[in-house]
Amino acid sequence: MIIDQTKCIGCGICTLYCPADAITVAVNAEGKRKACIDQDRCLECGNCIRKRVVKCPADAIYELPKEERSVGRQMRRFFSDPSTTHPLTGVPGRGTEEVKTNDVTGRVCRGELGFCLELGRPVLGTDVREIEKATMALAELGVQLENSNPLYDLLKDKEKGTFKEEYLDERFVSAIIEFTVPFERGEEILNKVKEIAQNAGTVFSLDVVCCYDEDGTLPVLALCEKMGMEPRFNSKVNVGIGRPYVIEREDRERRNAQ
Amino acid sequence: MTHSLHRRGTYEELKDEYLLLVTIANGVNNSPDAKDKLRRVLDEMWDVGPVNTGSNETGTILSGVSVDEIKQGFTKVPRIRCCFDSKEKIREMLKRMIAMDLGVSTTISGPRKDIEELCQEFGIHPHSANLSLQVWGTTERLPEEDVMKFITMCGHGLISRALVEDTIQKVKAGRMTPEQGAVRIGTPCVCGFFNPTRAVKLLQKYVPQE
Repeated sequence: MIIDQTKCIGCGICTLYCPADAITVAVNAEGKRKACIDQDRCLECGNCIRKRVVKCPADAIYELPKEERSVGRQMRRFFSDPSTTHPLTGVPGRGTEEVKTNDVTGRVCRGELGFCLELGRPVLGTDVREIEKATMALAELGVQLENSNPLYDLLKDKEKGTFKEEYLDERFVSAIIEFTVPFERGEEILNKVKEIAQNAGTVFSLDVVCCYDEDGTLPVLALCEKMGMEPRFNSKVNVGIGRPYVIEREDRERRNAQ
Repeated sequence: MTHSLHRRGTYEELKDEYLLLVTIANGVNNSPDAKDKLRRVLDEMWDVGPVNTGSNETGTILSGVSVDEIKQGFTKVPRIRCCFDSKEKIREMLKRMIAMDLGVSTTISGPRKDIEELCQEFGIHPHSANLSLQVWGTTERLPEEDVMKFITMCGHGLISRALVEDTIQKVKAGRMTPEQGAVRIGTPCVCGFFNPTRAVKLLQKYVPQE
């Protein structure tokens, strides 16, 4: 995002709304107060150009036409502005539909665990180098990242978990490392996550997706207890009324084969 | 993504907060009548009475968008997001979802055990759950917990620390009411998950005493 210096009246109304603290107001060479956006810090979240959010009285904030934006700036937008839709996923946002549609996609079935490590969330944001540290650590375990997550598109070596050089210095509000493993690998993964946390230069929010058993229990709860990782009481529950319903791996494979 | 997860606060603060997500799955059940189905859901949801709703494309009722604008803004893979501020309302909404029998994926975020109880009450078996295993890494760099309670109401990370801290200061100084402050902080949330009812309650403790 850019602030037109000829229009800006230096009121500073935009500064408070920037989650990346990228907007400052300073006195220019002509002695006039002007707001300016630090392009390194700007994550392209779009807050400042939303008319219902920052009501810039001078209408001074704008973005370059799409064809003039660099690939890096476009990537920032995909991972920071929830109103954008990445061509890879076809859904708005920076991840997949994970548990939201799990009753019909069967992304995570019984006997499996889905993991999400959302780098940069909350507050701090992340650069791609930080994401790469985590994906490389997970690659050591042979973890296959979710191929319909927009991060997948930025990988250089999917086996090693490295990213294309041109993206390494880009920064996002957050990016989700998403993958599914057999349930029995859960302990190994959670131990690796603890290791990733010790070496992290930012924060990440961790969550796990698990199907209910037929008797209504959630098998992952016992695993969490064993690992000393107590889940928060507030969760996200797919209540299971979508169709066509998929919960067993065999159902998913049959459906995918059709 | 998991934008309704990882909300901070005590059980007492969060026990009346339920977020509803009704989602068409891209490539699975985004049939030609998907938009019509979700328009029906939106009408029922509005009738039950959410405290906030919106869409990434249009913005939220909190920021001045009308329900008709949200309805008209449905994309080819439509979705509904809203926030209810009581267990009674989410119970009523779930009852209506089951009665409509539209076959669309429905997710509720809130206290897990309370949601499981509701499912049991209606005789449905929840499919899967997404559990928050907390925040890891350089957590010492995060704002204080009272600020985090507001920031995490927007899982997309669009509510800035500066906006929350400035609003708290204004309420403390008596220059803004909690109600005004809640709208101000919640406006950047574009999907409609920000809960103004809880935000007002959180801001009330900063109101200067007479």
